[in-house]
Amino acid sequence: MEPERWAQVSRIFNSAIELDSEARDAYVERECGADESLAHEVKRLIENHQKASAQDFIAEPAFANQSSSGSKTLAAGQRLGPYLILQHLGTGGMGEVYLATDARLDRRVALKVLSREVAHDRRRMQRFQQEARLASSLNQPNILTIFEFGEINSLNLLATEYIEGETLRHYLRSHKLKLTEILDIGIQILSALDAAHEAKIVHRDIKPENVMIRSRDHVVKVLDFGLAKATESASSTHASDLEGDTQYKTAAGMVLGTVNYMSPEQAQGLTVDERTDLWSTGVVIYEMVTGQAPFKGRTKSHTLVDILENEPVSLSEASTFAVPDELTRIVDKALAKKLDERYQTAKDMLIDLRKLRKQLDVEAEMRRSVGPALVSKAQTTTSIAGTPTVEASGWQTSRTTKYVILLFAAVVVGGVIWFANTSRHVQEPPSQTTVAPVTEQSLTYSITVQKYRNNKPFEEPFQLAKEMLFERDYQIRLNINGPKSGYLYILNEGPHEKGKPAEFVVLFPSPKSNNGSALINDNERIQIPENSWITFDQEKGTERVWLVFCQKAISDLEPIRGFVNDETKGLLTDSSVRDRVQQFLRSHSTDKPTVEQNTEQRQTRITSASDILVHAIDLEHQ
Amino acid sequence: MDKLSPSKPHEITALLEQWSGGNQAALDQLYPLVYEELRRLARSYMRREPKGHTLQTTALINEAYVRLVDQHSVRWQNRSHFFAISAQIMRRILVDHARQHLQAKRGGGAKKISLDEVMIVAKERSEEVLMLDEALANLARLDPRRSQVVELRYFAGLNNSEIASVLQISENTVMRDWNLARAWLYQQLSEKA
Repeated sequence: MEPERWAQVSRIFNSAIELDSEARDAYVERECGADESLAHEVKRLIENHQKASAQDFIAEPAFANQSSSGSKTLAAGQRLGPYLILQHLGTGGMGEVYLATDARLDRRVALKVLSREVAHDRRRMQRFQQEARLASSLNQPNILTIFEFGEINSLNLLATEYIEGETLRHYLRSHKLKLTEILDIGIQILSALDAAHEAKIVHRDIKPENVMIRSRDHVVKVLDFGLAKATESASSTHASDLEGDTQYKTAAGMVLGTVNYMSPEQAQGLTVDERTDLWSTGVVIYEMVTGQAPFKGRTKSHTLVDILENEPVSLSEASTFAVPDELTRIVDKALAKKLDERYQTAKDMLIDLRKLRKQLDVEAEMRRSVGPALVSKAQTTTSIAGTPTVEASGWQTSRTTKYVILLFAAVVVGGVIWFANTSRHVQEPPSQTTVAPVTEQSLTYSITVQKYRNNKPFEEPFQLAKEMLFERDYQIRLNINGPKSGYLYILNEGPHEKGKPAEFVVLFPSPKSNNGSALINDNERIQIPENSWITFDQEKGTERVWLVFCQKAISDLEPIRGFVNDETKGLLTDSSVRDRVQQFLRSHSTDKPTVEQNTEQRQTRITSASDILVHAIDLEHQ
Repeated sequence: MDKLSPSKPHEITALLEQWSGGNQAALDQLYPLVYEELRRLARSYMRREPKGHTLQTTALINEAYVRLVDQHSVRWQNRSHFFAISAQIMRRILVDHARQHLQAKRGGGAKKISLDEVMIVAKERSEEVLMLDEALANLARLDPRRSQVVELRYFAGLNNSEIASVLQISENTVMRDWNLARAWLYQQLSEKA
């Protein structure tokens, strides 16, 4: 380009980009007059200016940009004792967090490298170690498990379970939460607090940033138990003013958190106890319902004044959907400024939330089964009219046998709850409008999944809440429990190959349990297999697990016990027995039981109105 | 702490003054001295323990300046000159590393480069750095000042007011130059791609 031409282009370009987009084209055309190619040149440059600026093209200096990785303590691929660093996950108030593998157990961990500000303060380190040790003793599914705390190469490290998911803060930004979901999250936070408070550990920093939602199954994990105390410094409770910024810093310059979730006693720098966590949970629930924190002033000082002196806009007013009065009452009670008016224990608040959650389920069930006339009655009596979500989650009822276990996330760590509270759920309050048939059969089951690699456990086992597509490395266990005694038969039907008969393998009874008998006792818990896992083979397909339960022994199925031996390993090798079994299953599976999934307890209850319960669980694998 | 490189501050200061006085030969002598210092500093920055602050190229050049230039005998313009030359040098360092890194990745280069050197230019930015260097050379032929604005900002990490003082132009002009140069570079690179 000629220098004169370039001078023209740059002059018009510079003036044009300062104009509004509407005025811009007219200006360019006016300035360029008849010179169409000049106008074209300028317009093209303006277009590229917009793209460059939208894409932050070369916005960061070549070297400074890389400073973010330069300031990291550890690099991917680096080894630190037993840990191999895989990825930098983030940097927070405590220090940096990395995804790493622990070579000793071949498991993934989140590795926190404590910032030097924390590590160099001996008093705080002692407190931190003490709290970490206490917190690591907490064993509750909603509490992030602390594996190890120690010092390697003069770095203070904290290894915790790694959760693939997002923080509640993130989740709130991208999802509109349903009422049931809000309650489920609140219930899980409080379950975590209940366990921690039992162990005399106060969290002190409950906020959406410290609550993780696991992508795979939406299980809530509360992070950093007891650690807030260790990172607090005397100056932090009376934080200095940072206008318009609700984050405040300690003297060491470390961001400690927002003040929005602080309790009045915290805001005043007084001693805090368990009830502080209940306040903060109230704030979190309020925010989940309304999208806004209840106390959120223009500046931090305004927020603190609100926390100490002002009542928030009531939950029902601030919400965009109808909120049950009971939830408003619960949140109000959690947000009582006076300590003795607040919930006194996490358990009390937990009980209230659970009750409300159950009530919503019962009402949803009534709506479904009774029709509109009764529904309106249910609504008026419990004031959940217009609640957008009552039909979702909890015991999801569907009249289908086919429970296809489909794809959900892959990387997993989690606790296993073996038959937790099974009996309680079997006695779920029945809907008043359905008459329970006398011959009703029911079983509750859950599926435990664990990822293996090279025949070694690769991740912690977890209990399946939803469908999942199993990959080769997954192994499963089936946990079954029935309220009444009866005869239980479990068979695995392999993927069908065209032109070949289906293959059946007996999973229960087995030679060890019950001495090969199919009869189980009241509330007996059956785990299949007893001492190992069900593995998937290389073939893609659907493995079907048949559950058959009856008060009496089933003559068509009794012969399968003859194949439970070391020779056949449960495989039905006799075609006449196999055909008889297949015939039986085919004729009985038309009468489908009711399937209710409890996502919170990760259990499925199947109920049949007839005297023989036949249910198929489909496990899809690839 | 590393000892200062063998070059004497007085020597560098004298060279800077000669160069600003119009002596191009002074630049040839100055260049390798500053280059070595910046390279050494860049490496040590990468190794240094994190102190919570963000690493900035300007911090690095400032540090080099303090180490290399005799503070008592320098007129203030020399600081600008130092930054201008440092920006060129940083550009060369970064481009060299990017090239080595890409060669190493493609297996073409037999030369083994150390981890901390590779880290100076983040992997994914190597291509960008090389392409930009080339496009910037084209821009320099068309419009030297605007090309220098980009060099100071992208390669030396200077902010608008620092660039304004190095180039002796207003901040407003720096902003306008940046917009134009960036649009032009974006256009060049996107058309090439």
